[in-house]
Amino acid sequence: MPIVQTENLTKVYNPETVPVHALRNVSITIDTGEFTSIVGPSGSGKTTLLNMIGGLDKPTSGTVLVDGVNVTRLKDRQLINFRLKNIGFVFQHFNLIPVFTARENVSFIMLLQKKDKKEMRQRTDELLEAVGLGSLKDARPREMSGGQQQRVAVARALASRPRFILADEPTASLDTRAAMNLLDIMLRMNHEEQVTFIFSTHDQRVIDRARRVITMVDGIVEADEHRK
Amino acid sequence: MHLLLTIAWRNIWRHPARSGVLIAAVAVGLWAAVMVIGWANGLMQQRMDYVIERELTHLQIHHPDFPDDGHPWDHIPDHNQITSWLDDHPQVRSHASRTITDGMLQSPVKTSGVRIRGIDVAAETRTTTFHENMVQGEFLDADLSNPAIISRILADEHNMRIGNRIVLTFENVDRELTSSAFHIAGLFTSASSEYDKRNIFVRSKDLTEILAGRPIFHEIGVMLVHEIETEAFVAMLNKHFEDILAQTWRELSPELSMIVELGDVMILLISLIIMAALGFGILNTMLMALFERMRELGMLLSIGMSKVRIFCMIMLEALILTFSGALIGMALAWLSLHHLGQTGINLEMFAQGAALIGFDYLIYPFLSIGDFLLMSLVVVSVTLAASLYPALKAVRIHPLEAARDA
Ligand SMILES: Nc1ncnc2c1ncn2[C@@H]1O[C@H](COP(=O)(O)OP(=O)(O)OP(=O)(O)O)[C@@H](O)[C@H]1O
Ligand SMILES: [Mg+2]
Repeated sequence: MPIVQTENLTKVYNPETVPVHALRNVSITIDTGEFTSIVGPSGSGKTTLLNMIGGLDKPTSGTVLVDGVNVTRLKDRQLINFRLKNIGFVFQHFNLIPVFTARENVSFIMLLQKKDKKEMRQRTDELLEAVGLGSLKDARPREMSGGQQQRVAVARALASRPRFILADEPTASLDTRAAMNLLDIMLRMNHEEQVTFIFSTHDQRVIDRARRVITMVDGIVEADEHRK
Repeated sequence: MHLLLTIAWRNIWRHPARSGVLIAAVAVGLWAAVMVIGWANGLMQQRMDYVIERELTHLQIHHPDFPDDGHPWDHIPDHNQITSWLDDHPQVRSHASRTITDGMLQSPVKTSGVRIRGIDVAAETRTTTFHENMVQGEFLDADLSNPAIISRILADEHNMRIGNRIVLTFENVDRELTSSAFHIAGLFTSASSEYDKRNIFVRSKDLTEILAGRPIFHEIGVMLVHEIETEAFVAMLNKHFEDILAQTWRELSPELSMIVELGDVMILLISLIIMAALGFGILNTMLMALFERMRELGMLLSIGMSKVRIFCMIMLEALILTFSGALIGMALAWLSLHHLGQTGINLEMFAQGAALIGFDYLIYPFLSIGDFLLMSLVVVSVTLAASLYPALKAVRIHPLEAARDA
């Protein structure tokens, strides 16, 4: 079942001054439960594509359908609510609220969703255990390593029970061990919770473990490879 | 709401020094504002009380023509009827009748135009504190015949001392010029040297004898039990008696009432300056807090925190900061006012020279509850206004701010 569909997605930055064609007629379909990585050289349009899918930016032309809903048509306010309900985000940096503990950062998203308090507490604990941070629940971001912070971000992204999780270079600022560890967790969650992951990466070892690899070059999908 | 409060509260403690400085600034600013205003209030009140109690009284009754013309024949008709009515009125604390005429003071040295004020010692002492102006000699209850009291300045100008004889020349009620000899019984000094040069005091019964051969009075000074009732009381007097003119101290002394109004303007100005400083302080702090948190706010928008919530979060931060400051400032100000309102502020060491003659060295600052609440309300409004801009700016941040590279 497709969860994300893009049709002729095109993005031109600075159309008036120095046009940059970041995406050219990108049409891809991603099914529920996939573990998809978007790869390609720097400047190939990976981030741009993820931003369009996540409704963080508007395409120049083309559409993005999430569960059949045309995201490009939504108004700003509807988009925020849409993201809250449907999408989990993991960024490369600045994922967490610095004044909140790991636990509070994970609960935060469920508070925004107005989830039941008891369920919230239980799920927060579960997720933090699952990403291996059972002992750092009350630590603030600055007391954690980069890898630990990214794991909290993954836990938070999962906490909202989103339709899919978008992660732009989640491992880029991590060392190999932390990166592999994060990827293990993402893979396991993909299994256990049946969450769809769409992430971009440069890292060959990460690419090797993805089940589907979409390769971008100059804003065009050059290859789309499904693996076992 | 609880969530927003938590974030706002923690964000404040992210920079304890910066937040502390702002809180302190708000507290000190407000404290200073209240103190200055309280002090100005005290000063004005004292000045008002002083002039009123020394001589002016809360209200005065004259013949309608007397205030402008000052002719001795414009005396108060039915004087006894009015005074006995005043005697019986519960709102009246006391009153004193005065016989007044303009004339000349002649001495071998020079001639001065003066206003000759005939007073009744007992009634005047009950009603005003003029007798406290005496610096030398005796008040008018001396044994001399035709005693007079002149100011020290006038005495020096005419080169005269206590016991000397002076000649006063003035028109009587029949418009004939008369001259009479008086003897200096004492010297006074009031707050105003201008006043000192132009006024001479004699006994009412001596003056009225020469003026008319019978008791006539040109002025009744009335002190009420409560100053606040002055206006209504004057209106009632003017309605109740014909052919007289009753006036409040505000009407009688425009300069005094101007001082009071000027004081109010000054208070307004001081408040405005302090509030502006307060506003800019908040604006600056909140903008700083905003700029260093652009990515974080972008992230919050990305993951689905609504703009309304972000707006409220920023506003809450500003409000908590100012309220803490305002609360501390108000508490300090209240305590200070409470204390100084009882002990007074001693200005003795600054009270050199003539500038403060006639003023008490002790100023009792005060601020009415209404003014206090008004100040608090203004602080709240200023804070809200000053935090509105940063909060609106926060709402305009693009979610992609978060995705931007470090
Ligand atoms: N806000 C922007 N304004 C103008 N041009 C932009 C903007 N964002 C991206 N671009 C350009 O669009 C193209 C695609 O950028 P994008 O960030 O999507 O690439 P990427 O594949 O994510 O690169 P990297 O691997 O370096 O993150 C690049 O040429 C980039 O310079
Ligand atoms: Mg990128």
